[in-house]
Amino acid sequence: MDRWSLDAVQSRLREADPWMGVVAAVSALFALLIVSPMAWLLWQAATVEVARATELLFSSATARVTLNSLVLMAAVTAASILIGVPLAVLTTQTDLPYPRFWTIVAALPLVIPSYIGAIAFVSMFGSGGQVDSVLGMTIPRIQGLSGSVFIITLYTYPYVFLTTRAALVSMDDSLIDAARTLNHGPVAAFRRVTFPLIRPGIAAGALLAALYAISDFGTPAFMQANVFTNRIYREFNNFSVEYAALLALQLIAIVAVILVIEAGIGRDSDAGGGRERGATIRLGRWKWPAMGSIASLGIVTLVVPVAIFVGWLIRSQGDRIPALEFQPAVAFNSVYLAGLAALVACLFAVPLAYYSGRTNSLFSRVLERATYLGFAVPGVVIGLALVFLGTRTLPSLYRQGVWLLVFGYVVRFLPQAVGTVRSSVLQIDDETLEAARSLDAGRLEIFRRITLPLIAPGLVAGAVLVFLTTMKELPMTLMLQPIGMDTLVIKVWQAHDALAYRYAAIPALFLILISGVTMVVLLRREGYEMT
Amino acid sequence: MEHNERERGHTTGRRSFLAAAGVSVAGLTGLAGCLGGNGGGEAGAVADAEPLGEPVTASGVSWDDLGDLEGELTIYSGRTADQIDLIFDALEERYDDLTISRDYDDNNTQVNSLIQEDAATPADVFYSQDPGALEAVRAEDLVQALPADVIDAVPASYRHPDGLWTGVSGRVRSILYNEDRLGETDFEDADDLPTDIFAYAEDPRFEGIISTRPNSGTFRGFIQAMVEFEGEETTRRWVRDFMDQDPQLFSGGSDQAEAINRGGDDDPIFALGNSYYGARLVNEDPDAPIRVTFTQGDAGALFSVAGIAVTRTVDDPDLVAEFVRHLLAVDGQEVMMEDNGEFPVIEGVDYVGDLPNPADLDSPEFDLSGFDMDLQDASRLLEEEGMEV
Repeated sequence: MDRWSLDAVQSRLREADPWMGVVAAVSALFALLIVSPMAWLLWQAATVEVARATELLFSSATARVTLNSLVLMAAVTAASILIGVPLAVLTTQTDLPYPRFWTIVAALPLVIPSYIGAIAFVSMFGSGGQVDSVLGMTIPRIQGLSGSVFIITLYTYPYVFLTTRAALVSMDDSLIDAARTLNHGPVAAFRRVTFPLIRPGIAAGALLAALYAISDFGTPAFMQANVFTNRIYREFNNFSVEYAALLALQLIAIVAVILVIEAGIGRDSDAGGGRERGATIRLGRWKWPAMGSIASLGIVTLVVPVAIFVGWLIRSQGDRIPALEFQPAVAFNSVYLAGLAALVACLFAVPLAYYSGRTNSLFSRVLERATYLGFAVPGVVIGLALVFLGTRTLPSLYRQGVWLLVFGYVVRFLPQAVGTVRSSVLQIDDETLEAARSLDAGRLEIFRRITLPLIAPGLVAGAVLVFLTTMKELPMTLMLQPIGMDTLVIKVWQAHDALAYRYAAIPALFLILISGVTMVVLLRREGYEMT
Repeated sequence: MEHNERERGHTTGRRSFLAAAGVSVAGLTGLAGCLGGNGGGEAGAVADAEPLGEPVTASGVSWDDLGDLEGELTIYSGRTADQIDLIFDALEERYDDLTISRDYDDNNTQVNSLIQEDAATPADVFYSQDPGALEAVRAEDLVQALPADVIDAVPASYRHPDGLWTGVSGRVRSILYNEDRLGETDFEDADDLPTDIFAYAEDPRFEGIISTRPNSGTFRGFIQAMVEFEGEETTRRWVRDFMDQDPQLFSGGSDQAEAINRGGDDDPIFALGNSYYGARLVNEDPDAPIRVTFTQGDAGALFSVAGIAVTRTVDDPDLVAEFVRHLLAVDGQEVMMEDNGEFPVIEGVDYVGDLPNPADLDSPEFDLSGFDMDLQDASRLLEEEGMEV
């Protein structure tokens, strides 16, 4: 960038600003906290003897699983964009009836752990499954790498959907109207006006889908696909934690490269804008296929798992298993933990996203990117790092209260909030802020009365993402929760482990219902307008 | 109790989180000082805890003869809640002043957590389905010896020689199969199935329709046992031959059993696994086609144990010791048989259950505490021979 360009000068001025200095310091502190568990990885990995380390890092087996993981990641990302972006446009820019309902249906698959989805999908559509035994019709075998891509995409595209949607909602529609009046058709208007404006939003969601895909273990393992996380787990299961740590660092290094590349794609684009709602795309007869496609997606991803579990509930004649029975406290625990995680993640995200969105410095970008590292590492590895750090810092509070667990959720899921808030921050119009300043408004007042409302859609999207992914988080919850504090997903997991799927029915149903209701509440806060 | 949990969470959740966040940074700078510290906080020794009632013996004692259990116990369990909660509930019901906090997680994760927690672990007892896992925490010097009467009551091959862990109940490696699908195979009926574990790797009739779960503790135990019994070269050949059968490799025991039971065209018809999976599915659905058979006199019918180790930091050694005695008493052994389809480890306790009597099973004798090949090497062996998931 030309260091004397207007932008550069402005950003330098902003950096010199004491207010920005405070934001920078807070951001740095938060980023440091978030990457602190990585210190444990480094320390563990440092104990591996050089010969063994070389063997682990550069073996042909490692090369093979690395390639598989990259293919998995790329395919899931591409497919998530292909599903998520059209759905976001459909629910915000068109006259689709009941947009809020369809928004919730399209976002909810995020709350189903993908390996649970995989199990349900195979029992429903696979050979020997429900559809097979009734209709004698089976889909081709869902297995291996392609099966993993298929299943993970079904439960990961909502990342792209939600972040793109947030970008669309906070976009100034009058720009599109202007384009339309200049004789651009809807497609051309989308390509030339809308797309550049929502590109950071799409990129933010695509990055999350990519990182989820590369760090997921359960689904590839179920699908018998050999990916990078399998190697990490094998060492973990051999109790060779130092090897697992070394491999996790290798995964982080791969992801770091992706983060740098993505930083170029998702870079700033000054979208500017108020929030005038302009004319929408009329769907006409197309609204039926549109609703039909979202509905079928919802059936496959949400109804099928619950139906499978309910089927077991009806058929089973097994003995009562008291340990697996559902208690209301379990639902409360899930909501409590997920709500707390969403709140703390938003608190962390605001300064980080604001700082990196409003300044162009390398430092701010590094801080923002650093928050993504925790999401690239399997939860069980971060969990183990926190077991160590928790027992060494505050042993008397270890597994007393939820602080360590909530911190773990934030380490893993903060990028989901940072990404969405940042894309909203990028859309703030400089002139609006200048105008407010010229009216002698105080810094905090400007933030509260102007900035905060403008980034609200991003904050809400971030809170929804963190809430939904925390609802389904399993490995860290099992490791760090106050002993005996069960969640809905723990109940589903226990039922699966005990081969008593009937006990998974009620918690799975609650998981979907509670998440749906929470989304209704959150979406209301965003000031969603029924169109 | 749930209510209290809720209240506490609400009032202190956020504050303690922020406090923790602050300390975590301080903790990092102080990290170097803590690393490698062994902790080692020895509480009273469990080995010295005299019986509160009768001692346990190999001929079997009743719960009525044992002392009362009073106080709080924290148990890390790798075993699943459906299997183990019942005995904990039975004990809590029997003793009003007993509270058992149960932490359930994946077995291997529990081992890793215990190692990282070291002396700061809240756990008094680690309950695992895998002697390899018990041996792993023993090797990290995280556990302490059990009382002499407990050690003497359990046969030497089912426990650590110095009593640093002991088996509590037995299980046998088995062949799971789908009875309805035998017609699709070249086997006449169940009696036609081989009783030699090598046939499952070499007989072409199993090609494409067999599976196993290489990452499970008991499969690794099976490999360790085979190395002991047949030597490393023969074991490697077995693994290679088995891989030539184009087996499906599952990562979860439940997923494998469910695939056998579901019986789709792509699902395996035979699986090497633990026998109790079959019992669970038949319990859920009496028409389930999954069945169990055993090999004879080889590692394929390895008799293994689920068992316990006590940590070095127990709060109340008398309570922990007496709790272990309850597990090994006749009543405790009967819970394991009736609810889990497992076998007793105490000689004086008779087997009652649906499976063949362990005496008829012809499981070879192995010392579960001291395989020649350790667990990591067994795992490497599998990796080198191309069996990896």
